[in-house]
Amino acid sequence: MKAAPFAYARPARLAEALAELARSDGGGKVISGGQSLVPVLAMRLARPDVLVDINGIAELGRIERSGGFAEIGATVRQRAVERDPVSREVPLLGMALPWVGHRELRSRGTVCGSLAHADPAAELPAVACCLDASLTVTGQDGARQVAARDFFAGAMMTALGPGDVLTSVRFPLAGPGDGYGFAEIARRHGDFALAGVAVHVNAEGREPSAVLTGFGISDRPVTRSVGAELAEALDSGDLEAALRSRLADVVEDMVDTEGDVHASRDYRRRLFGVLASRELAKAYTRTRGRDADDHE
Amino acid sequence: MTTSERPLRPVRAEAGEAVEVSFTVNGTPATLELPARVTLSDALRDHLGLTGTHVGCEHGVCGMCTVLVDGQAARACLLFAVQLDGADIVTVEGLGKPDALHPLQESFGRNHALQCGFCTPGFLMSSYDLLTDKPGVAAEELPEELSGVICRCTGYRNIVTAVRETQERFPDGIPAPGNCGARALAGRATGRVGGGQDSDEPPDDAPKSVEIVLPGGEPTIAVRITTEIAVAGDQVWDVFDDIGLLARCLPGAELTGELGGDQYAGRARVSVGPVKLAFKGVAQVLEHDRAARRLRVLAQGQDSGGAQTQADIELRTEPSGEGTVLHADAKVYLTGRIAQFGRALAGDISRRMFEQFAAAVAEAATSGEAPSGPVRAPSALRLMLGSLLDRLRRPRRKGSGAAR
Repeated sequence: MKAAPFAYARPARLAEALAELARSDGGGKVISGGQSLVPVLAMRLARPDVLVDINGIAELGRIERSGGFAEIGATVRQRAVERDPVSREVPLLGMALPWVGHRELRSRGTVCGSLAHADPAAELPAVACCLDASLTVTGQDGARQVAARDFFAGAMMTALGPGDVLTSVRFPLAGPGDGYGFAEIARRHGDFALAGVAVHVNAEGREPSAVLTGFGISDRPVTRSVGAELAEALDSGDLEAALRSRLADVVEDMVDTEGDVHASRDYRRRLFGVLASRELAKAYTRTRGRDADDHE
Repeated sequence: MTTSERPLRPVRAEAGEAVEVSFTVNGTPATLELPARVTLSDALRDHLGLTGTHVGCEHGVCGMCTVLVDGQAARACLLFAVQLDGADIVTVEGLGKPDALHPLQESFGRNHALQCGFCTPGFLMSSYDLLTDKPGVAAEELPEELSGVICRCTGYRNIVTAVRETQERFPDGIPAPGNCGARALAGRATGRVGGGQDSDEPPDDAPKSVEIVLPGGEPTIAVRITTEIAVAGDQVWDVFDDIGLLARCLPGAELTGELGGDQYAGRARVSVGPVKLAFKGVAQVLEHDRAARRLRVLAQGQDSGGAQTQADIELRTEPSGEGTVLHADAKVYLTGRIAQFGRALAGDISRRMFEQFAAAVAEAATSGEAPSGPVRAPSALRLMLGSLLDRLRRPRRKGSGAAR
């Protein structure tokens, strides 16, 4: 369980990190918190020629706000985000972070690292998709914005090229009429989810809008707009039960993972259907200020 | 809060090439040169002799290696040591002292929250982090909050109780780690690379001149002996002036080279029963004043298992009738596996060694030669018997005193 030898570069500037990756010709790997990467190295499932440590690049360690967005840099630790006001300003982040691994992993693990690793059962990629976050991908040719929903290309595969660094992610701050929900079922706390949901409801307009993102149910986060289903269910006395039946087709379509030893596909569908309707109902009541429990 | 607060020095190293990294471990600065792939857990255990941090799965699942990095619990097996330049690390060794445990450690003991003990350092560091981060954490959240460490003796209920009890005792936050301060670490040697099959660093054998930094804080053992020997002061000082002869008077010790600047390389063997330790190290003569009858030496040694010992030894003589009274004052600091001897036994052994030393000085002062050859390990049997007798006698003396 020892990583194979690798060259180690810890530049102070982003341009040098990019140059290092370019020189490595596909043999380089970026490390920040390393909480997903180091196990992979330890098991020698990956043997990069050079590890490019971006922790020395000061500009990547910031949380900034502008124009209704919070931008989280590539080396910002998950636990730092949990403790920052940003976890209330982007409530879904605050709700999801306690589910990410364990405290001990979040001390070092980064938000951007979790996105770049793109485990299909991970929480933060789903949060990014649900909130329509924008990811800044920087390569030799400069920076480009990639929408979270276009970023995830499959299990542990993303829009990142071998010479790219995910330098930051931008989340919209919560506004009037916004309500959120997050839940997952894992065999043990800290394990990757068997199925999980992130939802965002906005009840400002005449018709509510609702976004449902599932994780652990496919090879990447799956996102659907379910405003119409929510609107239809609103008239019924039991919102959650009404959503259960109205979301049945969407849920069946979203969950396409094969079953595994822990849960069959049908079980995951059932699980996901329950979680999705429950959290959507909660999120909707939160938009109306009718729910006492807050988002922290 | 973010890494940007501590600018990291730029580094570029080829595969296998050693990278210098400096951090603080339990209050003591340490500088190591390690290939980048060496994890913090291996650096602590193999290069700094701090074996309290256990290694279980080595891929971030079991939590055995949990330590504090900049005040927050982290898995030492998921960190490359070179990434921690400038970091402040606290391991279970820094949490409490053997005779002044941290309240969490006490509570674990009281509640039988450990059985085999393998997970205990991980649980202690994780729960320390929890109770400093969230002093008001709800009782029902404890099992999940502590789920980052696995216990295979199924002692979770007792562990949760121990943490809960400590939390109730300190509602405003638990005391800081109680054993952090400058002390001896094996960190000055660049050392071997632990465990790796691709390990390509040669062992660093050549004695080198080093700066011996005397640790602050309490020594592990303080030895103070006064012996009367039937030799005149000048003869005793003839022995002290001949550093090679003096070294041979130390049981098991041997001088192997002069490093200049009053520094000497040497080695020492200690064997107690089945325990055999071979130390290599350096001694620095700080003060050698024949007129004032004072000799002060700092010594630092390291054995192949990462055990580290450091000592501040002062020898003084004064005339007493025909003979001389020899005072030896030694502060001995132990880390690594040798510290597991326990203070009492290690203290007894050290005291016994100094008594043998005094006898050897007397013999050398008379005959001009140390008792029996250059390398003489102290007889295990004699040391054991001596220590045991000492330990048996002492309470009895105490007992009879109380009876009076």
